[in-house]
Amino acid sequence: MGELVTEKHVRYILAAEKRKDDFESVVMEHLRMNGVYWGLTTLDLLGKLDTVDVNEFVSWVMSCQHESGGFSGNIGHDPHILYTLSAVQVLALFNKLDIIDVDKVTKYIVSLQNEDGSFSGDIWGEVDTRFSYIAISCLSILHCLDKINVEKAVKYILSCKNMDGGFGCTPGGESHAGQIFCCVGALAITGSLDLVDKDLLGWWLCERQVKSGGLNGRPEKLPDVCYSWWVLSSLIMIDRVHWINKEKLIKFILNCQVVLAELLSCDFESDTENGGISDRPDDAVDIFHTYFGVAGLSLLEYPGVKPIDPAYALPVDVVDRIFFK
Amino acid sequence: MATRTANMSKESCSEEKGLNLLHQLEDIFENDPLIDEMGYIHPSQFSLLNDESGIPGDSPEEVLHPSAERTASSVESLLDASNQENLYFWNRDHKLGISTQILLQLYRSAKQSFMSAFKQYKASNIQSDKVVDSSYAFPSCDHLESILMRHSRSLLLLSCDFITAWNCRKYVLSKKNQPSVFMDELHLSALVLSYAPKSEQAWSHRRWVIKSISANCSNFNEILEKESELVEKIAERSKMNYRAWNHRCWLVSYMKTEQVLHELKRARNWAAQHIADNSCFHYRRRLLLKILEDSSCRRCVSSGYNFDMEQLWKDELDWNRTLVNRFVGREALWLHRRFLSSCWINHFLTESSNTSNASKETASKYHEFGEFLENELCLAKSCSTILDNDFEDLQSQAKHSACYILWLRTQVPKPLENELLEKLRGVDLLNLLNKSCPERSSLFNDIMK
Repeated sequence: MGELVTEKHVRYILAAEKRKDDFESVVMEHLRMNGVYWGLTTLDLLGKLDTVDVNEFVSWVMSCQHESGGFSGNIGHDPHILYTLSAVQVLALFNKLDIIDVDKVTKYIVSLQNEDGSFSGDIWGEVDTRFSYIAISCLSILHCLDKINVEKAVKYILSCKNMDGGFGCTPGGESHAGQIFCCVGALAITGSLDLVDKDLLGWWLCERQVKSGGLNGRPEKLPDVCYSWWVLSSLIMIDRVHWINKEKLIKFILNCQVVLAELLSCDFESDTENGGISDRPDDAVDIFHTYFGVAGLSLLEYPGVKPIDPAYALPVDVVDRIFFK
Repeated sequence: MATRTANMSKESCSEEKGLNLLHQLEDIFENDPLIDEMGYIHPSQFSLLNDESGIPGDSPEEVLHPSAERTASSVESLLDASNQENLYFWNRDHKLGISTQILLQLYRSAKQSFMSAFKQYKASNIQSDKVVDSSYAFPSCDHLESILMRHSRSLLLLSCDFITAWNCRKYVLSKKNQPSVFMDELHLSALVLSYAPKSEQAWSHRRWVIKSISANCSNFNEILEKESELVEKIAERSKMNYRAWNHRCWLVSYMKTEQVLHELKRARNWAAQHIADNSCFHYRRRLLLKILEDSSCRRCVSSGYNFDMEQLWKDELDWNRTLVNRFVGREALWLHRRFLSSCWINHFLTESSNTSNASKETASKYHEFGEFLENELCLAKSCSTILDNDFEDLQSQAKHSACYILWLRTQVPKPLENELLEKLRGVDLLNLLNKSCPERSSLFNDIMK
């Protein structure tokens, strides 16, 4: 397993996007906006974004926007901050940010900031540092970061710092690589990384690398390809990536690819079982892990994969287009 | 029943079947409102389950392969309730099983019914809001509400994170005042968690319920305790479930010191039986930190509840030491020790050095630090011998103990640094670290600079 089987992954993504007749795919429809972001970003990183119908996706994204300005995961569902960021990111990939009513989206996000600086996911009030990252990242992309109380937002994120240097989802929550990515990303975007103890956090992060070379998200857990993104991007942002073994990680990710799946069903015509990346070797694939595997390889500068921005989780050329047009 | 034509389209037949399935599912709940556990079952397991419970009725053969007299158009007879129940749903002892064979159809039908009910409910609400005379009852509203609650529940049994379904229930409930309906939500959420213990929305819904009732609830402490027990139960079969433990940590902010101490004590046995579960040790850290916070707030006020915090900390350290020695090479245990000793050094040993108390007390604290350090280094050294071909556990133990020494070195405040370096004089720490954990040499070199 020495190389990235790009063509198979592209085919896998395009086929998965169309699957509407099995329970496992259909039951994910409430978070399709996230799935579209993962799939399209992967295609872009592999240089294949031109294989999809831009207009079809753009009009679908816009039809998910609500009166409040927020976006839902799919048509007819309730809006949430999670899908709002994905929607903006997808439009950014297609260079269609100009069709967004920036004031409307900004108003929605601003309305979700609480007194203590934290952010709720929607009107029902659940608080999580993921939502802080989403708000900051989204408004930054829309050039409206100054519309929220940045100082309080930063203060809240720091209140979620634990003694081990990591961050949880709320004050006192267990350190988790995914939450750490969100907090570090938010602090990076707001220019507040000096408030992070980089050695302490870097230490916690590099302890995520296990014997097989893969990364886990918390102590005592199994490695999972998605942490190749969250741990790696965090390490890069705090300038401690040299504390892990990159070669071993690359090997781990490549081993999580499905190149030749065993044909468990009699469906010999379908080659959707080929391609894609799973959480760890020999497991089932999905779009989520395919994206994180490719994104991880991008951060590791794997040939044939476009560079990705560790804070915005978008291809670098897309981020440049947003900020340096 | 309406008569069927022979030319029924495949689609509407399927839709009808889906609705039928949905009604059956909902009838099961009508008949057994106490269902507290559910799962998806492969069709092949149904006959096994039915045989075990001795259900009379059609043999599986007859149900699956109808005789020639039954034509395609007499679909209803095939959808005879008792046959169907055996084939697609299983319900005994307040447990529910749904056949994987019908999940897609059931989901589609539940979703469609839910979306349509929600639309109607919202429309009727707008109508009723416009009525000036608020004493006029809208009976249709109650009826629509009950349908909506029924369909949203069905949908959530198939798609645990279907936000819109959870939201509609919050929407309905936010107009009510009775605490009992909120308890129903906890019941439904627990049912969802029985088949999807990691469901973000199910956990989030519980927090919304608790926040909603916290203001006027007479037995709030009892509810907190039940929540904590639920997490423990779920954590038993869903190891290191982040959302579950996060929920438990979230509860702590509502607890008074007495309850926190009780939790600490109660959860100890569980922790000792799950020493690889980092989440449960983090929960203990959360509890300990809460006690520290609360005590520091009441420094000037005599606390109504007396306990010796130092002793509590010492006990936890001793207990951890026992576990570290008994269960070799366990990361979670060493990480717990890092926290305990860091707090011990920075909170208990050094705070008095800033006060203007008698120097006697300060001297004794410094002596305690020396003794503490001596004990810790002794423990670490005893765990750090590595021979070639040693078991992986012993190698792990050596790695963790060496890192622990490094940790102590980084946590010690400036005034006590010399004492530490003095004690470490015989130890070539960098060499020890690199030997026990060569892959982290880059980290060690940088930290020790």
